[in-house]
Amino acid sequence: MSLLLASLGFGLVTAAVLAIASVGFTMQFAVTDVLNLAYGAVMILGAYVAYAINQHGVSIWIGVCVAAMFGALISVLLNRGVYTPFQRRGTAPIAIVIVSLGVTLILQFGLQAYVGGNTVSYQLDQVPTLSLGGLRLTSVQLVIIGLSVVTMLAVHALLRFSRLGKAMRATAADRSLARTCGIRTDRVVTITWLISGALCGVGGAVFAMDAGSFGATSTDLFLVLILAAVFLGGPGQAYGAMLGALVIGVGTEVSAAYLTPAYKDVVAFAVLLIMLAVRPTGLLGSRT
Amino acid sequence: MGNGLVFYLTTMLVYAGVDILACLGLSQQYGVAGVTNFGFIIFQAAGAYTASVLSLPHDTANGGFQTYLGGWSLPFPLPWLGAAVIGAVLAVPFTFLVGRRLRGDFAAIGLLITAVMANLLVNNYRPLFNGSAGLSLVPAPLQDRFDPQSAGFQWAYAVTAIGLALVVYLFLRRVTESPYGRSLRAMRDNDLVADSIGKNVVSLRLSMLVLGGAIAGLSGGILVGFINLWAPSGWTYAETIVLFAAVIIGGAGNHLGAVLGALLVPLAFEEVTRFIPAFGPPGLIPALQWVAIGVLIVGFLWFRPQGVLPERRRIAARFAAAPRKPDGAAVAQASATTKDTDDWSLPGARLPISPVGNRTGRTRPVQRRPAEPARVILRAEELTRTFDGVPVVSGVSFELHAGRLTGLIGPNGAGKSTTLAMLAGTLAPTTGSVVFHDREITTLPAYKRARVGLLRTFQLASEFKRLTVLENLLSAVPRQPGDSFHGAVLGRRYWLASEERAIDRAEVLLDQFGLTRYANQYAGDLSGGQRRLVEIMRALMAEPAALLLDEPVAGVHPHLAHEIGEQLLRLCAAGMTIMMVEHELAIMDEFCDPVIVMAEGKVLAEGTMDALRGRSDVVEAYLVG
Repeated sequence: MSLLLASLGFGLVTAAVLAIASVGFTMQFAVTDVLNLAYGAVMILGAYVAYAINQHGVSIWIGVCVAAMFGALISVLLNRGVYTPFQRRGTAPIAIVIVSLGVTLILQFGLQAYVGGNTVSYQLDQVPTLSLGGLRLTSVQLVIIGLSVVTMLAVHALLRFSRLGKAMRATAADRSLARTCGIRTDRVVTITWLISGALCGVGGAVFAMDAGSFGATSTDLFLVLILAAVFLGGPGQAYGAMLGALVIGVGTEVSAAYLTPAYKDVVAFAVLLIMLAVRPTGLLGSRT
Repeated sequence: MGNGLVFYLTTMLVYAGVDILACLGLSQQYGVAGVTNFGFIIFQAAGAYTASVLSLPHDTANGGFQTYLGGWSLPFPLPWLGAAVIGAVLAVPFTFLVGRRLRGDFAAIGLLITAVMANLLVNNYRPLFNGSAGLSLVPAPLQDRFDPQSAGFQWAYAVTAIGLALVVYLFLRRVTESPYGRSLRAMRDNDLVADSIGKNVVSLRLSMLVLGGAIAGLSGGILVGFINLWAPSGWTYAETIVLFAAVIIGGAGNHLGAVLGALLVPLAFEEVTRFIPAFGPPGLIPALQWVAIGVLIVGFLWFRPQGVLPERRRIAARFAAAPRKPDGAAVAQASATTKDTDDWSLPGARLPISPVGNRTGRTRPVQRRPAEPARVILRAEELTRTFDGVPVVSGVSFELHAGRLTGLIGPNGAGKSTTLAMLAGTLAPTTGSVVFHDREITTLPAYKRARVGLLRTFQLASEFKRLTVLENLLSAVPRQPGDSFHGAVLGRRYWLASEERAIDRAEVLLDQFGLTRYANQYAGDLSGGQRRLVEIMRALMAEPAALLLDEPVAGVHPHLAHEIGEQLLRLCAAGMTIMMVEHELAIMDEFCDPVIVMAEGKVLAEGTMDALRGRSDVVEAYLVG
């Protein structure tokens, strides 16, 4: 029982990190139709920016904010400089996925060339503050969960209640129709990259906190978890990504407790492949 | 020649052979067939592991310092054969990823994730292939008879590797330059349309996964026999990206381009950087290499997406001498000239096709309303389709009669195209059924409907862009001997005669539609109107019993539209059944009888245009609004 509770605690933290990252990824895909595999690379860049700030004695939470801004900036630049030009030219979606893989190599190994191959860690105060049976969460983990819940509520409010959210949903449904209806889709797309990029930056920083130590290629595997969460909920579905993150996050950690930890990510992989085979539109997606 | 130099040269040659094999396999999948296999490296790894455990002794040998499955000490060439076979067999479970339902980029992601996870599994699970340490002391082929360190052995190995690469190159060229290869390229350009003209895209993609898997497996077997060790760090998912970079830079779809890419990227690139004097901390140069690969991929896709050696256009000699208008004027205008019009008014005897419907022995005169009731060819029964719970088509029933040109009109959103898609099998009805030639075909996939003679065209341009006009036409010819893997492997002599007959038919059609001079042009380079014609011609090449046309004359010059109408009537007279969705009422007036009116997902009325004009509900729903 305590094993279950302990793994549940880990699972909730992983799910919290995953939710922030997955919602950003799925929003990007929904509104811009780019399966941006460089997302993981931007995440780790954000994590390193927070690290650089943290190294100067500044609180890591300020680092998270800077990582958000940095992620937003890089994402907008990527869209403006790379993805939109390719899309304007009529490049096939699959070729853009290949482009995003190229961008991944450039960003990730560019970072590695700069910071080297060693792993680093943030300066954090790790004190257990919540202990409930076997469930033990540190203050940092609690803040991560809280941050994730607040982010999800904010995304919900944005999509449901704001004009911008409405414009984003319209653009996601049909870009040319949205433009015909007077929505400035270019601006909506840019703002989407801005918001999802900020989520990506935050996701990177909290991922690094949760992981403890990290290196330039640490998000490679985490990207697989993001993809699993996104496809489980249905690609492009923000609420689906939240649900997917919860299932994958808790699922991998609980299975790690009962199976061998080395294979915990394989659970996510199995879920992803089953979803692709059985229901490619995801749990919350429409049937085709 | 010094021993060091011999070793260096032969090593480079073996690597070249292995890289060429891998790039050829990937080029066949991605460049020719449009199957984006981001998990390609798994197949090479599978081949390497297979060859290893087939040739290694049982794992208690060598002091038992490594654990692995098998260990059968099999003699050469069994380990290499096993590598190719396992590479091929491993592809089969991936069928579900390349089905009709899944977007190509989603499938690619699935394969990428599989590659990451397979590496993780093998890395962590030691009993399988010795975990992260990998397998070592893998025997070289025939090492009990020859000394693997001798110069002679090294040269023999290199020659064998290059020789096998050459054999595979010739084999793939044979496959690609056949009607089967044309089907693969058609699928690459537009899988939905390939499906609609009778190509089984799942089977085609599976064949390519299996073929590429076998080639990748063989390359792994050759490599491991030479370097004698194989570990998970050597086949990370990123190695697939290197191969993609090679194929893109060399020229996807051109096998020589794949060879060039293999020599340029995995081989030369790694070698050149070896001579750069070491600088910076350890790990810097490999990191910069990866950055450079990324820059090459993005740069080439932007500046030269077709690669250094682009796929070449297949030019049919017969049409090569055809005079071409220097300005490439649209045929819609060209056809308006007197000469073309004369061609068109030739009697139906010049028809290049013999519709299946002719088998009834009855030919219908070109006239409205034949006296006797015509046979029902296609019947829609209570067809309903909802999208996200919203009904788009609800309870549509009608019949198409043999030898009739039936029109289908209705305002935008009436459900015309959806109905047509359900008839052709592009879209599954929510409820209701489709009956063709007294046979229930509701669950029959589109490609099988095409094969029994029920064909459709599309509202949006759906030509195969990187096939020539002639190839577009030939792609639809049913039951070609060369249009199967088997037939393609048997070679030109096996299928050339039927190909020539098909070209003969295409020649007549091209002449009738005034597109002869464009036969060797890429269909994607034609004007909108010309592309519609290509699509109609392609459908006719399939000799369908029933043809469903979705706005065939949209964007076509009115004069030519009229000629197409005449042509369709002649086809009906010869026994073909045609249904046409069209907004151009003049065409309906002149050629279609009966005309079915749809509005808001239902059939509103059916009758001659004259009768329909007299009905106030029809006029209100469509003719006025």
